[in-house]
Amino acid sequence: MRTDAIPVHPLPLTAEQAESMLQRQVKKHHIAIILLHWFNAIVWFFELLTGLALISSPLFRVAPRWYISIVDGVFGTRANMLQFHVALGLLWIGVYLVYAIFGFRTYLSKEVLRNEIALDLDDYRWLVVRTRRILGLTREALPPQGIYNAGQKLFAFMVYAMIPLVMVTGVVMAFRLFGTQVVGWAVVLHFCAVGAVVCGLLVHVYMGAVFPEEKPAFFSMITGTVNELYAYRHHFKWWTVIKAEEQAWNQQHADEAVAPAETARPGSSSADREPGCPG
Amino acid sequence: MARYAMVTDLRKCVACQACTVACNAEWDVPAGYARTRVRTTPITGTFPHLASSIYVAQCNQCDRPPCVEACPSGATSQHDNGIVGVDKSLCIGCGFCLEACPYDARYINPATKKVDKCDFCVSRLERGAEPACVITCTAHAKYFGDLEDRQSDVFKMVYAHGARRLETSTIRVGPNVYYAGEHASTDLVLAAFPPRPPRLLAAGQAWSRVLRPLVLAAAGATFLGQAVAFFNQLRNGEKDFED
Repeated sequence: MRTDAIPVHPLPLTAEQAESMLQRQVKKHHIAIILLHWFNAIVWFFELLTGLALISSPLFRVAPRWYISIVDGVFGTRANMLQFHVALGLLWIGVYLVYAIFGFRTYLSKEVLRNEIALDLDDYRWLVVRTRRILGLTREALPPQGIYNAGQKLFAFMVYAMIPLVMVTGVVMAFRLFGTQVVGWAVVLHFCAVGAVVCGLLVHVYMGAVFPEEKPAFFSMITGTVNELYAYRHHFKWWTVIKAEEQAWNQQHADEAVAPAETARPGSSSADREPGCPG
Repeated sequence: MARYAMVTDLRKCVACQACTVACNAEWDVPAGYARTRVRTTPITGTFPHLASSIYVAQCNQCDRPPCVEACPSGATSQHDNGIVGVDKSLCIGCGFCLEACPYDARYINPATKKVDKCDFCVSRLERGAEPACVITCTAHAKYFGDLEDRQSDVFKMVYAHGARRLETSTIRVGPNVYYAGEHASTDLVLAAFPPRPPRLLAAGQAWSRVLRPLVLAAAGATFLGQAVAFFNQLRNGEKDFED
């Protein structure tokens, strides 16, 4: 059967090609990742809401006093607020443990870490061009990206580094482990790790909810799929991988192919690889 | 509003430790720890002109308590009646308040790993009883009452009989435990057990002086950068991807 040569660089598409790619969906996220993402989002929302209000001393607090009074009022007592914060945090840790135990081979394999977190040369160039484009300094095309762009990779890298820190320091405080010196530093590390994640989270939420070019990425966290045109334009290197996989699959099943003309075009089936990056 | 205070008459105290025992029993204080403790100053002078004094140590429920400011979670707070209370359900055992207290009046309970200290037996006060140490004192050396009540014993002891706060010229946080007796006796106590400057643990200093401004600046800068990006987006009217 006939196979299309996969382009090495993104080529200009005809309107017809673009339209047909827009109509095809390719799988990006497994349902487990989608559920974990929104569970994580809800947990972070409530943990940040209560966490900001839990730091009350003028020496340490980051939220204004009126905010702390409002949240105090909602929970009735500060003790209720702390219990809620700790209970939700422990549930969060529990869910992540389940995810880690059952999914570490899939989500934390060397290959996944190399493809979804490690930055290559295109990624470094992308970071520069992306920033300049957002600030309106250039209209230069973005370098081709893998399944996650460099920004998402950086965010994932930070989240992977900070989340264990947030969990460990949280448990140390909740159960007052290892004496006052350790708890004292745990308090400070907890604040700093969360602060770092919040900086990334601001960008993450902006890109997902406000930035028009990434709209398909936002909906992919609900449906699990993106249209092929988005994959082609925004994650070209990932698109070539999908396409190669589809062609290999089609070759294997050439005998069963009813209409070769249909299978020559990618997009009707989806990649079976499941990305595990929360970025 | 009341302003509760305690006066210990050093002329009457015989250092029998009945107050310590009563307090430990009342509050289940573990062995080796105390909310209040009777101590004696070292003997000074040359024979036959020797001098020593007794010192009954406890939380002073200060007017300007450094421990309240040092507590990140708000577990330690000052009530309207002046008593500095610890909400155990909020304590995370960070120990910042122990370092802050100029009188070292706090301890970490090894069983609960939470902080504990004298709170003038606030739960006894609520049911109309006096603090355990006051009713137990064998020599009737302890007085408890409201400094805003001119008829109270503590008012008379402080304003008529010159009971003293244990303050130095540099450490003045407004303690509400007063000591009656010879001026020389309280001088001995101040010399042997002077209040120290409040300390902030290195972790607390790091956050308060360096890391908090850094985190706020980083989050603020990210937010501003995005605001610029957002207005550029509105101005340029970037088309949706699908179009």
